[in-house]
Amino acid sequence: MAEEINYYILFANYTQGLALQELLKSEGLRARIAPTPRAVQGELSCGMSLLVLPEEIDAVRECIARHNAPHHSIVPLPCQIRPGRGRFC
Amino acid sequence: MIYLDNAATTLKKPDCVVAAVTEALCNMGNSSRGTHDSSLKSARAVFAARSSLAKLFNAPGPEQVVFTQNSTEALNMALCGLFCKGDHVITTALEHNSVLRPLYRLEDEGVISLSVVPADRQGRPDYDAFSRLIRPETRAIVCTHASNLTGNVMDLERVGAIAKSHGLLLVVDASQTAGAYPIDMKRMNISVLCFTGHKGLMGPQGTGGMCLARDVRIRPFKVGGSGVQSYSRAHPAEMPTRLEAGTLNGHGIAGLGAGVDYILEKGVDAIHAYEIALAKHFYEGVRDIPGVTVYGDFTNWNRTAVVTLNIGDYDSGAVSDALWEDFGIATRPGAHCAPLMHHALGTAEQGAVRFSFALFNTLDEADAAIAAVKELAQCD
Ligand SMILES: Cc1ncc(COP(=O)(O)O)c(C=O)c1O
Repeated sequence: MAEEINYYILFANYTQGLALQELLKSEGLRARIAPTPRAVQGELSCGMSLLVLPEEIDAVRECIARHNAPHHSIVPLPCQIRPGRGRFC
Repeated sequence: MIYLDNAATTLKKPDCVVAAVTEALCNMGNSSRGTHDSSLKSARAVFAARSSLAKLFNAPGPEQVVFTQNSTEALNMALCGLFCKGDHVITTALEHNSVLRPLYRLEDEGVISLSVVPADRQGRPDYDAFSRLIRPETRAIVCTHASNLTGNVMDLERVGAIAKSHGLLLVVDASQTAGAYPIDMKRMNISVLCFTGHKGLMGPQGTGGMCLARDVRIRPFKVGGSGVQSYSRAHPAEMPTRLEAGTLNGHGIAGLGAGVDYILEKGVDAIHAYEIALAKHFYEGVRDIPGVTVYGDFTNWNRTAVVTLNIGDYDSGAVSDALWEDFGIATRPGAHCAPLMHHALGTAEQGAVRFSFALFNTLDEADAAIAAVKELAQCD
């Protein structure tokens, strides 16, 4: 089975993250709030991130670009705990 | 939901707190602004809260209790208002960013120099280092009463005795202990005690403050409306008005006062005993699960009801996320605003998952958390 990848959108603060979640939602794109993984956050510790579906990541990138939506970065990470546990959104 | 993030904020408040805030929202005027019934209601609620807090912490009196938005604001006011150019300050590796960042800023601005008492892999401070680090220009020791990451409690009587014997101020961050662990300002020789209202004191968010020993003077960082001495150019010099400007959060303070009265009635010792029994039960249920690493000093139970762990090399954020999504258990992962503590524990990369218990948690909830950790630790 191919490795399951999670896409995390990282932010400088919660305000950016909540605003982007609203924006994505308004365009029918799904994004679940999750703790930012320590593995990728560096100085951005303690934050929230948005988890988006792999099949929607291109549309999400396009939406972010179109709106010039403030965010830090988008990071793909292999799913560490119980891949496929189906609790995405 | 099983809420085990009480070290961040207590979610469940006593009914009397909710009732006091509701009553205040319906009937409270502006404290210290006028003498009609509504204004006096507010003034009396604020005064009662000061009195209760002074009693809880054995502070010199209600006039030495100053209200702020939270402990971060109190710490900023204290640290920026106590020190002068050239002062040396000692702090510890256990500290939260609400202590570290104000101190780092003062250091970067060239006001103070700073030394840090290190901690070992169990997060225990090196008590001998306090005396070793003292210099002729040392003004103060600034330390937390308990680590928000490990739950380890600082022996404040010991630190207070060191501060007293060297004529130093002792500024304490009691964010994790106020209401949940005994505090005695006089016995511990505390000069300034900073507390937050929304954690162990079970009050609303937006409340907090500091208690000052009688002889401690803090330069006010804000001045303005006080409701008294209005024709004086200068802000009133008398405590507590000296350190309060602008309308207080009366509605919140009414709730905080009710929370403190509730604690006084129950007794801090009884509250601590209950909370620590839950933490102990959880600790004993998880410590031997293969792959689980628990952080902190569990050689005695003079600690707060916090148990922090990791499962294998799982990212702490991912574990906390699974606990929430799959089991409905609310915990806090990551760095917990305590970077030096994570470095001492060796968890700077992985972070850690914190389970924190409070008065309204139950043994069944602790059992459910143990079962969840077991299940997550078993899946590879
Ligand atoms: C040890 C410690 N200090 C300071 C704070 C800051 O508290 P507040 O956010 O209420 O100002 C906290 C809470 O997160 C804490 O745990």
